[in-house]
Amino acid sequence: MVKRKIGALEKVEADLPNLQHKIRRDPKSYIEDFRAQHYQYESHREIFMAAPSAATDTGVISLRDLIDFISHVADCYPEILKDFPQQLIDMLMQHHLVLEPELREKIVGSLMLLRKKELIDSARLLHTLFPILISTPSKTLRALLFQKILSELRSANSKTINHKLNRTMQTVLFNLVTSDRTSSKGVWAIKLTRELWKRQIWTDAKAVEIMKEASLSEHEKVIVGGVRFFLGGDKEREEMEDESSDDDAVDVGRVRHQLGINKKTKKKARVAQKAIATVKKKERKKNQPHPLNFSALHLLHDPQGFAESLFSKHLQNTKAKLNLEQKLFVLQLVSRLVGLHQLHIMPLYSYFQKYLTPRQPSVTSFLASLAQASHELVPPDVLEPLIQKIANEFVSEASAAEVATAGMNAIREVCARQPLAMNEALLQDLVMYKKSKDKGVMMAAKGLLSLYRDVGAQMLKRRDRGKDASMGLRSGEKEEKRFGQQELGGIEGLELLEKWKEEERRKKNLEKGLPSDAEDDEEEDEDNWAAWNVEDDEDSDDSGDWINVQSDVEIDLSDSDDDNDKARPSKKAKQDGDETKKKADAEQEQQKLSTLATTRILTPADLAKLAELRAQASVESLMPGAKSRRPGQTTTRHADDPLTAEEIEGLAALSAGKATREERIAHAREGKTEHKSKEARRKERKQEQGKSTTNREKARKKNFLMTLGKAKSKNKRSLIETRAVLKAHHDRQKRGGKRGNMGM
Amino acid sequence: MGNSTKRKKEKQKDFKKPKLKVGKAKAKPDNFTDTSFRSKAVVLTQQSLHLSAPSLNSQFSHHLSLLSVKSDSQRRDSLAHLTTSIASRPVNSPLPQPVSVILPSLLPLILDASNAVRTQLLKLLRTLPRSDVEDHVSQLLPYVRAGMTHLAADIRVSAVEVLSWMVDAAGEQVVSSAGGWIKTLNCFFSVLGWHTEESARWSSSRASFGKSGSQGRPMVKVLGALAEFLNAGVGQPTTAGDDPLDSDDESADWPFPLCQTSQHMVSQSSAAYAYLNLFGQPRDEEGEMYETREDRYRVFTSRFLPAIERGLKSAREEGGELGRASSAVSKVVKEAVSYGLGP
Repeated sequence: MVKRKIGALEKVEADLPNLQHKIRRDPKSYIEDFRAQHYQYESHREIFMAAPSAATDTGVISLRDLIDFISHVADCYPEILKDFPQQLIDMLMQHHLVLEPELREKIVGSLMLLRKKELIDSARLLHTLFPILISTPSKTLRALLFQKILSELRSANSKTINHKLNRTMQTVLFNLVTSDRTSSKGVWAIKLTRELWKRQIWTDAKAVEIMKEASLSEHEKVIVGGVRFFLGGDKEREEMEDESSDDDAVDVGRVRHQLGINKKTKKKARVAQKAIATVKKKERKKNQPHPLNFSALHLLHDPQGFAESLFSKHLQNTKAKLNLEQKLFVLQLVSRLVGLHQLHIMPLYSYFQKYLTPRQPSVTSFLASLAQASHELVPPDVLEPLIQKIANEFVSEASAAEVATAGMNAIREVCARQPLAMNEALLQDLVMYKKSKDKGVMMAAKGLLSLYRDVGAQMLKRRDRGKDASMGLRSGEKEEKRFGQQELGGIEGLELLEKWKEEERRKKNLEKGLPSDAEDDEEEDEDNWAAWNVEDDEDSDDSGDWINVQSDVEIDLSDSDDDNDKARPSKKAKQDGDETKKKADAEQEQQKLSTLATTRILTPADLAKLAELRAQASVESLMPGAKSRRPGQTTTRHADDPLTAEEIEGLAALSAGKATREERIAHAREGKTEHKSKEARRKERKQEQGKSTTNREKARKKNFLMTLGKAKSKNKRSLIETRAVLKAHHDRQKRGGKRGNMGM
Repeated sequence: MGNSTKRKKEKQKDFKKPKLKVGKAKAKPDNFTDTSFRSKAVVLTQQSLHLSAPSLNSQFSHHLSLLSVKSDSQRRDSLAHLTTSIASRPVNSPLPQPVSVILPSLLPLILDASNAVRTQLLKLLRTLPRSDVEDHVSQLLPYVRAGMTHLAADIRVSAVEVLSWMVDAAGEQVVSSAGGWIKTLNCFFSVLGWHTEESARWSSSRASFGKSGSQGRPMVKVLGALAEFLNAGVGQPTTAGDDPLDSDDESADWPFPLCQTSQHMVSQSSAAYAYLNLFGQPRDEEGEMYETREDRYRVFTSRFLPAIERGLKSAREEGGELGRASSAVSKVVKEAVSYGLGP
């Protein structure tokens, strides 16, 4: 027989895992053995503490093994081991710099294990791990600790939100960021907060406060981390949510089917049960009301103060060490805050003056920021010189087409937010570019033109105004908006509800044989309430959706951004005609709806219907067939969304010279996959599913020479033989194959 | 069919005459095998060749460094070499390396997996001069204790042997060093399985885990070591007769007006202020130093006496060799109890 190789542990029978297994089964009987191992651990610890940096691998069993062993059985002997967690914590806290990496990881892992067995509480664990995370120079340890801390926080918040723990942790992070503003340690606070924000574990103002303090720090990394959070944290959170709802989609039907076919084992049954449980859980989750998640920008206390200090500290300050890219991030955040909360930071606009030249690197970002920073309440005379400067620097016959396009787009974006910033002469000048040969410039000019047809038609030349605007002007319905003038608010989509109700009533009356105008409002109203009460459970699903109700101002702003880019100029005139009629209707409806909202109380059923109608309308307006555009509706971009440099560059791509043939081919190929026949695709699919070829296919592919013999002998068969073969074949068919498929 | 025409073409390709071109290398045939190769050479720039043999000292330190190699036999041989070189050195000459240098590499070997290495190690330790061992007891003890509670029975036994050597060589230091009294006694108890009432009963399987082919003899050894240890710790002080002599000497050293001056001089022993524990970890009750017999006896009676009596009783009941060995322990205990807290 071959001599068996014996491991060192086996030789001396120092089999800790075996002992561990036995102890777990019967802790009481093995207490002496455990005590011996505990003494051994104590002596090893003593040896280790005498020289922490020396190699700890002593003989067969190392301290690492002992720690592992003891922490695994720690829950069996809580009395003997009451000091054990503290010992581990001390070891890690005092010597983490010199510990050998494996032992260090083992100690961290053991602490997590003890936490899982609830021998230490999570606050204590976090108070141990977090200081080390901040101070250790080892990259692997940092990665490990970060992951452990994160998972600990997640699990602590998994069942219910652990407010106490969150509060202490947030305070620790806050202090970390604020205590020493020049150090880079705040990065960890940012990483942690951002991760927890992404997973919707922290959604409160305190987390935002940490990030706010981080962005006011003096270390570049920390600043950028904080600013990036405000610019992208919420989007990340949304994406994460989408992802988590998308992934691990289990096909229950398929699992059930497989369970029926494959060999039945306990494991398979467990897998199936788990799949069903997850699906059920997901279903339940779907029915739950959407949690109210405010974006970080909305949760800020004192946005004015924050924006001001950001601006003065990082942008205005000449000693700030940020590079251009980082400055742009800060600028984006400041302008976003200004636009969103309608703040007033006057020095910001003069700050822009310096950067608005075509030679400035990434000038489009500056232009986008400027547009974001302008809102209705900015004094027009502050913006006017800026617009003048953009026009002078960017928009001229001599400048490149891309430059002119970007400039024009920027002007349009600014003016969409503050129309009063434009003066008449300049506007008329700029509008003349609609005759430009270059497509990008032409489109940008037309965009500007259609914007001013909406908001300030009297500034245009008479022939540029268009039918719609000039009729509006004549009737006096369209007048210039004064500075600071506010639109009246309403309920979005109320007119749709009104119309729908009208129709319903008419239908009902027709059924009853009454004249269609007869009134039976109250009765119906009661019906609605009753219906609501009965169908409470079902309907709550519909109304559970969180809908962003936009204020009218915001709608106005975002409406005019990208409406005209796509609109064909040839159709424009016709549309205008339609719109006038629509407007007149709208006018009447406006009056009606005010009565609807003020004279009646909307039932929950009404509100549900309203939401439905609104969703329907927004879908319809996106359909290619939708001709008319309702004023103050169909916004593709929400006011909270940022304006990016791409939008300023916009159609600049059109101005670029013609692409070469290769480029065009590559472009056309980009989205498409290689053409494949139907059969090839089918085959691919089959292979992907791990399925084999059919018998027919096999027969077709069979080597010609192999079929030859049979074909020859077929000719020589006697009649009897032929009959036998045919009969056998028939039988086989009936049985369903050689082995039969009858399920016997 | 379609395939065969293709094959034919392929076959015909083989017989085409390759075109030769001026100024170009001849095309390689299809079945050409590249037989050229490159090799990586190992170049020894320098060999350590000496005319003279290495000195004894350098050999000694070389073997000292070999103590941490993987191979069992290498470690054993190195230990043997060290033993002979220490033992065969001229009388009264110093060790090739001081004990403080030798010891750190010896200590982990107490827990070594190989029996032969541990036996050899014990031999080496026995050759070390006693006076040097006294100063390093506190380093040795944790390893010995770790060995005494090891899962492997063989390691336990050899650790007990090392301990009995230590008690023999420097008994006073062993029992009075930090953690040397309570912790070591704890270890003894866990080896013997005397801790709890439950485990001291004869019916319960004691020392159940680990290799169990170690019934009679090892236990006898452990009991013997325990007797020695207890004797060193709480046994009747035998130096009663020496004391007057010492005091005579001292009074002889110092002229008349000075009396008991030696008490006020700087202590002769190493680490005289170790009990203050100025630099180490804070100690708990178990790790404390118990320097006088009185302290040790107090602790012994309060914590260990009941358990030890219980254990001794059961050992006696077991009879045989074990019972005989236990009588030595009980004798020491009886003496200690009769002596009490001291005169």
